[in-house]
Parts: sequence; C-alpha cells; structure tokens
Amino acid sequence: MTFKIIVFIKQVPDTDDIKWTEHNTIQRDGLESVINPYDIGAIQLAKNAKFLLKDCEITAVSMGPLQAQDALKEALAMGCDKAFLLCDKKFAGSDTLATAYVLSQFIKTQYNNADLIICGYQAVDGDTAQTPSGLAQKLDFPQITNVTALKEINSEYSVWFKSTEYYNQQIKITHPAVISTTIKDTEIMPGINGYIKAQNADITILSADDIQADISKTGFSGSPTQVKKAFRPSIERCSELINGTNDNAVECILTLIKKCKEQDCD
Amino acid sequence: MTKILVYVEINNNKIEKVSKEIISYTKQTFDDCEICALIAGDNTTIEALKQEVLSLGSDKVYVIQNQFLSEFNVCAYCDVIADFITQDKPDVFLIGATFNGRELAPRIASKLEIGLTADCTALSLDENKKLLATRPTYGGKLMATISSKTVPGFATIRPGAFKFKQPESSKTEICYINSELNLENLLTRTNVLKTDIKEVAEDWTGSDIIIAGGIGLKSKENFELIYKLCELTGAKPAASRAAVELGWAPQSIQVGQTGSSVSPKLYVALGISGALQHMTGVTNALKILAVNTDIDAPIMKIADYAIQADAINILNSLISKLSD
Repeated sequence: MTFKIIVFIKQVPDTDDIKWTEHNTIQRDGLESVINPYDIGAIQLAKNAKFLLKDCEITAVSMGPLQAQDALKEALAMGCDKAFLLCDKKFAGSDTLATAYVLSQFIKTQYNNADLIICGYQAVDGDTAQTPSGLAQKLDFPQITNVTALKEINSEYSVWFKSTEYYNQQIKITHPAVISTTIKDTEIMPGINGYIKAQNADITILSADDIQADISKTGFSGSPTQVKKAFRPSIERCSELINGTNDNAVECILTLIKKCKEQDCD
Repeated sequence: MTKILVYVEINNNKIEKVSKEIISYTKQTFDDCEICALIAGDNTTIEALKQEVLSLGSDKVYVIQNQFLSEFNVCAYCDVIADFITQDKPDVFLIGATFNGRELAPRIASKLEIGLTADCTALSLDENKKLLATRPTYGGKLMATISSKTVPGFATIRPGAFKFKQPESSKTEICYINSELNLENLLTRTNVLKTDIKEVAEDWTGSDIIIAGGIGLKSKENFELIYKLCELTGAKPAASRAAVELGWAPQSIQVGQTGSSVSPKLYVALGISGALQHMTGVTNALKILAVNTDIDAPIMKIADYAIQADAINILNSLISKLSD
C-alpha cells in the first residue's frame, strides 16, 4: 500500500522585509510571501522518506487564504505529489489550538490512513512551535519534535535524529506519527519539470463543511487566546551620552564594572 | 486566592533554571497569589530533588510520582499533568520554554482545550486576576500581550526572562499526588535508541556582567579580545547574531531573539548596532553600556550609557589598563 505523508505548510510574510503601519499592524501591500522556511525543511524530510520508501505519496496541505495556493504550487514544484488548501472565512484568525483542530479534522475526514505527518518546527511569523504538538494530541499520535534528520523508515516505523539543548538522540517511532523538524536552511530548487507539474496540478480547496469542522472551535471566535494589545517594543532607556577621550570612556567602563561587582549598579 | 502553578522541569537529574526563575518571579511579583510548584517523575528522581524543590520559595509543592515517568516522554507527561490540572484547577499554569517545555505545553493545552501563549517574557494579571502574557513575535519586531478565554491561563516562559533568587528560607508545604495512570501503551509508541549527552556550557545568562561583541569588532582576532577582557574582569562573553554568523563566536553565546535572553546587572555592548532582534535579548539587563563609532546606531539611543568610540580601541585600552 502506498505510504502516505502529509506535510503541513504555512505561507508567511517575509519577516526580513516587514514594514509597519502606524497601528502596529503589518503593512500587507507589496509584502513578499514565502513558504515558512521550516516547512521547506519538512518537505525535504518527506522527500528523503519517499526516496527510501519508493511507494510513497507526499501531500502538501495549507490553511489560509486563496493566496496560499501560491505556496502550495511551490510545494508541488519542489516535489510534493498533491495539494490541499483549507480555506474558509470561518478559519480566519485561528490561534494554534484552533489551527491544530482544523488540521486534525482534515486528517480525520480526508486522510485517516495517513502514515506520517511532517511539520516545520515553527512558523517564523509566530515563533510558537505549538501547532505540531497540538495536532499530535488531537489525533492521539506519538510525536517527535526538534528532528534534524531521518535515519531509516519502513511502513511500520521510522527512526529520527533529534537534537535539543542537552542531547542528541535517535528515536524510533511507530506510525502513524507526527514529526516536526528544525531544519530550515534547506533550499529545494525545483527543476523545470517540477514547475510544469505544478502548473498542471489541481489544488483541492476544502471548506469547514468539507472537513466537518465544528465552527465553534475555529477561527477568531473559536480561539481561546486573544491579542489584547500589540506594540513595537520600546526598549529605550534614558540614554546618557558619554563624551570625551578614550581614557574617559575606559575609566567610565571600569567604574561601572567595579560598581557592579560591589552589588551596587544604580 | 488566585493560584499560580509552576511546572518544575527536570533534565539530566537537575532542576531547570527557568523553573526556578518562574517561581522566584511569580513569588515576588504576585504577592496576593498562592505560588505552587509541580514536580513529576519516578520515585528515584523525586527523592533526589525533593529538598531542592522545597527550597525554591513556593508556598506549596505538588509531587506526582509515577513509575512510568522515569524519562521524559511527551505523551506520558502530558497525560499525567493534564490529569492533575483537571483536578487541581489552578488559575494560572506556567512552564519553562525549554525544548521539552515547548513540546509538552501545547500537547497539554490541546488535551485540555485551553489557550496557550508561547515563549513569554513578561506576565501580569488583569483586574479579574486573569493572566496577561506578553511575548515577542515576528522575530522580536513586535510585542503582543495575550489573554485567554479559558482557565487556567497558560503560558511558556522564556529562559532568562526572569531572574532566580534563592530565598533565605522557605515555608513550603508538600503534597503527594498518587498518579495511578497506566502509561505503558503510550511509552511503547516511541523508543529512544541512543542518547548522546551534549556538553552543556556553564549557564552564563544570569551573570552579573556580560561583555558582548558585534560586527564593529571587524575580525575574529579582535573578537578574541572580548574573551581576554572577560578573563580580566570576571565577566562572561556574549555575541550578536552577526558576529556568530561570521564565525567569530559560537552560537551558544549569542544574545537576542534567536539566541539567549540575559539578565546581567551590566551589559557591555562593543561594536553592536543594536538591531531589535538583539535588544529583545537584553531587556532585562539592569544597565546597558554601548560603545559604537556610529552615533546613529540604534543602540546609542537604547543604552543607559552610550560612548561614541571605536570599540577595538576601547577593548585594547581596557585590557592594557587591567593588565597593568
């Protein structure tokens, strides 16, 4: 039986290029959107798995506006075989819990025979890393996070390298399972055939009804967390400019260091 | 009384520093709340660490012993802790945003269907004693304060965001919770085949004085002077992302959104321009001193003391003066 891998991807604004409105919201006009870099790492892992398994199909799935089809086309060009977009106004404003719910409904209704779900560690526009764990729980799948590479895989189980602040591990996990990876600097350069395939591929668009989502658990109103306020960090202190010669500066630094050592820094 | 529960994480048979930081901070900040610590593990681990947990300054320590918790398994820990939260009903629940914490917390949140705010650097309670958690987002370019409609208010806390202070004495009540959950089925789904412990550098983020170098030092050789100055002053070295990316310093000493948060009494920034992504890592420094040739560099407006000078010259002068 064909081994089924689902890769969840997110289209994110290019965070190196953010401009702000005066209300601290992101200036969306002219903003470049890209596939979240960690999700490209997830696609790479899926491709590695497919290479080892041979009979394997990679499905890229995104939740987002119609514009996210661009990211899915890119994923198809990079080597994914199928693509789905979960697109519904009732999904808009979902926090990580609501997102995990929507993604779990996709799996339960469309892919309940999925063998492996691979996600990027976190999205660079949120940095929360919460969705993969939340999703694994909703599906009652085991999970490995902080995955850096695939060691071996067959239809029953796979072995992954994991790296945290304290250790490197090799972990064997029984399928179905959720993997999230910290690989993010991968570049997958689609070949011309990839682009041609992507151009001709259909992206299936699914609504809340299609995945039988309970809309009291989705979108802005279905999300428990709410942003109370957003602000540009004000990290300015009452800055004192110290003028004078190098000697003055050196003296000033040494005095401060000395004061700190004497427990009195004010 | 509002009850704040702090999960005490154990790694390599040691209590995570961030867990201690959260207990210290909540105890000092929310004086009309009951601060409780929660520790979970097998009997051997718990016995070894019990006294230390009791000394951290919480009002109460809950101890969950379960034979299946001998090593960290996210599914097993999730079930045990979620079960406890359901019974104990704290108002606020906090977990350190370590690698394991960031894996565990969202699984618990998903199980309990509660909101979770990741990687917070500031906490407060609103007039109804609901948690307001503030976190950096978009790579530190924006701060968001987040509340949740669900209870408990749940957040993970960035290591180094708060400072740990060992209390002189601690009147802590201890409560044992017998967890009867059979977790055997969960444990068979994943199997750790091999573990290589990394050599963990001594924790430096809470040092009194941190001296950091950036791209203004112009070369790896000049960056070495930071280490020299640290030796002479007893400070700890740190680096900006740019210096790390150029290979002048290891990632383990990088300060900023993608590195560590630090909380020294004095942060000396030499040749660092002060991009936001760097400065979010030093917001808890008591005093910041910056040396930069460019008077318009952002750090010159942010620092408490700004010195317009060539960082390399200053470094050399400091070293020669201290070596005398």
